[in-house]
Amino acid sequence: MEILSIGILLFSFLLLLTIGMPVAWSIIISSVFTLLVSVPFIPGLTTIAQRMATGIDSFALLAIPFFILSGELMNRGGIAQRLIAFAKALVGFLPGGLALINIISAMLMGSVAGSAMASASAMGSILGPEMEKEGYSKGFGVAVNITSATTGLVIPPSNILIVYSLASGGASIAALFLAGYIPGILTGMFLMIVAMIWAKKNKIPTRKRAPVSKVFSTFIDALPSLMLLVVVIGGIVSGVFTATEASAIAVIYTLILGFIYKEINSKNFPEILLKASSTTAIVMFLISASMSMSWVLSFENIPEMISSGIMSISDNKIVILLLINLTLLFIGIFMDMTPAVLIFTPIFLPVVTELGIDPIHFGIIMILNLCIGLCTPPVGSVLFVGVGVANTSIQKVLKPLVPLFIAMVISLTLVTYIPALSLWLPSLFNL
Amino acid sequence: MNLIENSLNAILEKILVVILGIMVINVSWQVFSRYVLANPSSFTDELARYLMVWLGVIGTAYVSGKKLHVAIDILPDKLSPKRQVRLKKIVNLIIAFFATMIFVIGGSNLVYLSYILGQKSAALQIPLYVVYLCIPFSGLCIVFFKMCDFKKTS
Repeated sequence: MEILSIGILLFSFLLLLTIGMPVAWSIIISSVFTLLVSVPFIPGLTTIAQRMATGIDSFALLAIPFFILSGELMNRGGIAQRLIAFAKALVGFLPGGLALINIISAMLMGSVAGSAMASASAMGSILGPEMEKEGYSKGFGVAVNITSATTGLVIPPSNILIVYSLASGGASIAALFLAGYIPGILTGMFLMIVAMIWAKKNKIPTRKRAPVSKVFSTFIDALPSLMLLVVVIGGIVSGVFTATEASAIAVIYTLILGFIYKEINSKNFPEILLKASSTTAIVMFLISASMSMSWVLSFENIPEMISSGIMSISDNKIVILLLINLTLLFIGIFMDMTPAVLIFTPIFLPVVTELGIDPIHFGIIMILNLCIGLCTPPVGSVLFVGVGVANTSIQKVLKPLVPLFIAMVISLTLVTYIPALSLWLPSLFNL
Repeated sequence: MNLIENSLNAILEKILVVILGIMVINVSWQVFSRYVLANPSSFTDELARYLMVWLGVIGTAYVSGKKLHVAIDILPDKLSPKRQVRLKKIVNLIIAFFATMIFVIGGSNLVYLSYILGQKSAALQIPLYVVYLCIPFSGLCIVFFKMCDFKKTS
């Protein structure tokens, strides 16, 4: 019975994807097929409709539209530019200066905004043309932009960590957020090393060092934006706000900053709201479709079957983590991050907790792993944004991506096998 | 047909902007009432959650109409233009069919069941069928958009 369900699910899902069916629709339609094998027609359809609605009926998920909105406000509201100016003064003089500026800005942006798409489009449109002028190839520029944008998914605040908290059945969002800092920064540093080596090899001229006064003045300029980090993360970690409340505060804060910087006015604000709501709707449909699929899977007892399958291969922690990482890398190529987290967390989490791995640690492994998939065709959403902003083709980006991928895989391996990288910071705060 | 499509789009846009606007005000009020007034409001949590369900479900119709859902076009792009058109029509038909099945039929049945059972939300005492009404509504919009698209692709 389970074999039949898995067969129907996989076959219909892959078939729908290949004919160009949108991913969310492929997920929901294949779930319907699978459920209708064992459940009568009308109750089956009703259950799916209900799962879709209740799947997004969660106060924790509310943080997602708000972080998307505040990210949108930051892009239009002059915050991204100020963060870039600060990064320029800070690391611009090193070899590969502009690439490093891109990486640092993406990390800073990641630490105030919740999504990678916002950062990839902001950095790509502002820094892309400059990089080209200084002799960076378009492909390398995009490759740096998209890989560094994904560090923002691990560095809090992060929408995907909220999704993981939901999928894991309530892992603490505050702990997940703190756990993301070191792995995110570590990945960023590895990317910077690759960028420096690339710049040396391609003889990119280095820039002059900015005077300390310039570093200081750009820092002061960026300070109101960076304060958001203190308010949001400080509030969540100290337990003053829930993540959702903090995200609403982030919206109000960025809105006020945007008004003060005179970038946002009553004219473009509705437009920003619409952009944020349609992005939210895309994410929410993916979430509700994935929640239905995840429900169908557990209804058909598929997670138990897969976990006992994995456990029968080996009971060695290192081997199983390696197997799970390879599987996730493969899944990440074909599936967007949100559905992958919602569908595979309930499958893998019981296996790893049995081996004594902390759910917080596993969450960071999973997100960091799936970040790599976001930059690969055919379903790399961040890749598409980066390529679109730079007006180039995917083929030109693939070659320079390889060394950056290797850097990400090294970082993933370290984070997987050294739990302290994720768990040390939360433990300092007793989370 | 085009006129209806454009005005439906405009209406959906307004609905989405208003919902997100209310959500922001609503959660900000929750924070304000809890920390400043020290008198946490009892309804904001529930209202925000239901608004998000509406935003997600009605937004799905809007996004389907605008064709913003991510799809993998590698194989379709390799086909001849004539076949691409045919494939697009098939994809539209499948979406319209399943929107009818899940959103319209499944959703209406869900509305009907919660109406019969008289289920109400805990804090606001809103009948749950009102919350679920967005599902068949969204389904009808999706079917309409996909039919427009079907006629347009040629």
